Amino acid sequence: MNATRIHGVVLCGVGGQGVLSLAQILQEALRRSGLHALQSEIHGMSQRGGSVHAQVCYADQPISSPLIDEGCADLLIALEPLEALRYVAMLRISGHLVVAEEPLPDMEGYPPLEDVHAALRAVTGAHLLDTESLARKLNHRQAGGMALLGMASRFLPVAEKIWRDVIAQRFEAKGPRVTEKNLEAFEAGRQMIPEGVEA
Amino acid sequence: MIQSTLALGVEAVGQAAFDAGIKGAFGYPGTPSTEGFEYVEALIQQDGKDRVAQWATNEKVAYDLALGMSYAGYRSLVTMKHVGLNVAMDAFANSALTGVQGGLVLLVADDPGMHSSQNEQDSRRLAEFAWLPCLEPSTVQEAYDFTRRAFDLSEALQVPVMVRIVTRLAHCRAPFLRQEALAPAGIGLTPKARVQDWVLIPSNARRRYVDLLAKQPRMRQEAATLNRLVSGTGRRGVVLAGLGRAYFGQLLIEHPELAALPRLEVAAYPLDPALERAFLDQVDDVLVFEEDYPVLEERLGLRERAQVRGRLDGAVPRTGELSPRILKDALGLATPDGKGAAGLDLPVRAPRFCDGCGHVDAYEALQEALRNVGAPEARVFGDIGCYTLAAQEPMAAIHAVVEMGASISMAVGAAFAGQTPSVAVIGDSTFAHSGLPALLTAAESKANVTVLVLDNRVVGMTGQQPSQALDQVERLVLGLGIPEIDLQVLTPLPKQHAANVTALEAALRHEGPSVVVFRRECIQSLRRGLLKDHDRAVREHHTCSAEVCS
Repeated sequence: MNATRIHGVVLCGVGGQGVLSLAQILQEALRRSGLHALQSEIHGMSQRGGSVHAQVCYADQPISSPLIDEGCADLLIALEPLEALRYVAMLRISGHLVVAEEPLPDMEGYPPLEDVHAALRAVTGAHLLDTESLARKLNHRQAGGMALLGMASRFLPVAEKIWRDVIAQRFEAKGPRVTEKNLEAFEAGRQMIPEGVEA
Repeated sequence: MIQSTLALGVEAVGQAAFDAGIKGAFGYPGTPSTEGFEYVEALIQQDGKDRVAQWATNEKVAYDLALGMSYAGYRSLVTMKHVGLNVAMDAFANSALTGVQGGLVLLVADDPGMHSSQNEQDSRRLAEFAWLPCLEPSTVQEAYDFTRRAFDLSEALQVPVMVRIVTRLAHCRAPFLRQEALAPAGIGLTPKARVQDWVLIPSNARRRYVDLLAKQPRMRQEAATLNRLVSGTGRRGVVLAGLGRAYFGQLLIEHPELAALPRLEVAAYPLDPALERAFLDQVDDVLVFEEDYPVLEERLGLRERAQVRGRLDGAVPRTGELSPRILKDALGLATPDGKGAAGLDLPVRAPRFCDGCGHVDAYEALQEALRNVGAPEARVFGDIGCYTLAAQEPMAAIHAVVEMGASISMAVGAAFAGQTPSVAVIGDSTFAHSGLPALLTAAESKANVTVLVLDNRVVGMTGQQPSQALDQVERLVLGLGIPEIDLQVLTPLPKQHAANVTALEAALRHEGPSVVVFRRECIQSLRRGLLKDHDRAVREHHTCSAEVCS
């Protein structure tokens, strides 16, 4: 962490994928780590299958801006590969991108998937996740989002215990099995990025 | 002070109203204001005391409910989006003349950049128009604090007070500190001596207008306590309001040299001319950062004391919302390189109908019926709700969407101009909101129109709030004078398609007004089980009364 500046995470995907819910987990984890964190979201049409994005800004001093500037974000978490490309310009040069490979192509003019993946691989600091295979392996259809958060966790100043506590609390109402499945997906994602890359 | 949990800016307004001891909250859903009402509604339901949270048929009704509660001596909150205030404008402007008894706060959420609205009008102008105070928070904490302050101000000045919030703050989630919570406490009915103040016949209204204008200096003084002039060292300064203030505050941390700029921070209106003059004396060149209209920019520019720059001269883009980048560019700060855009053309991912949505079946039937009656190119008047999505290609099934309720009256107007068939498509909640008077005119004038009411039983678009027309649409249509024979109720399902097309053709061929109701619950609402209890209660009631009666 750099004490003098505001840090930012951009999260994006398609309505219904759980972008806002991930953003809330992230914000809570940062707050419990003693940081100031704001979340900003655009969700007027979130259930209607349009693009959805959220930002989480954090710093070790109070923040007033709910938005991070283009070229200043440290991390992009994308639940859909084409959506990821819309926000690559938000990243600073040293920023990281964790992105699901699996597309939601139900729209006019979706480009060939190879082109989308190639464009993502061309981004330095990009980490692609085969969410489809992971979901099958974990027998958990919704594993992708939590696994991406697990990957993202390697780049965020939050201790592993805090992540687990926040996730467990988030899914508490849905019972121990759902909680366990989500923690498992988080851990699987976390293992995909070697420890100590950058924090 | 109590540490609160995280909440959206618009929710902090709801919490503040609750803590200020409101007896009631009223509103009509509209992004980005909706969550403010829903938050206070949840608090009121948990509270279990004698308070009420009621969605209204439209914003004018909501405003009048709040005004009536105020008349009766209790605090009330009324919430709406910016264009909703147009609907409530009659009530809003005239409540400035009546004044209030219990404190009345209007939360209005503006949408710069039109994330989910048809314009980016600026509610500060409407507060000015009505000669009323407007408080404009820039952070979630201020959203709470200013709302608390607004209730005190409303009672001190005996006028309604507007709290204006914009999308980015409305939907910014942050922690905030609460103040002591007050229980609702009535101050009694408007006293007899003041009853004439509320009767706006011309003789009273003339007196009340003078009274309202006489309150202006006091409003300016009160506003001045929230506004701030910060001196600097140069002759170049900035004026900051709303998120302009928030973004600049953030830049100050990263660029301490900006502290040299004299700045006028505006958080409340009307602006005190003495403060303006004091600021303009310190500067030759001013940049103004405010959301939506160039309200402060024009006002300061007219004084001709300094060169004032902003949206009018292009220093800030003329339209759209502010961003950190816009401030940086205007201030001449370096912007980072970043990774740059991805090298691929990105088609827009437009919002679309949910899988299995009944609106799609209704539109498909309408388009086929129009082809069958030889009018495939007929222009269809749409309205505001999820079903507005049909305006997009490839469906392109509606050809005008203006404001709530416009579809029916516009179809009648076009029918008078000779358009045949002339079709309106309107949702159930929009029909209740402002389609009712229009349908009465259609029935009374025997205009040759076909009105489709797409009844999904909830306010779908904004999150499936209860529709005021639930289970009432046919009775309303008949009550407004549409003959029973010209009303059909259909189920928009693929398997009903052929029958629906036939029924629609008959309606389109019919001379005079006809109404076709397409009823199927919103699938989001169905998935969430929102109407389960309601429907069970209705069924049980019917079964029971049938047993008793038979």
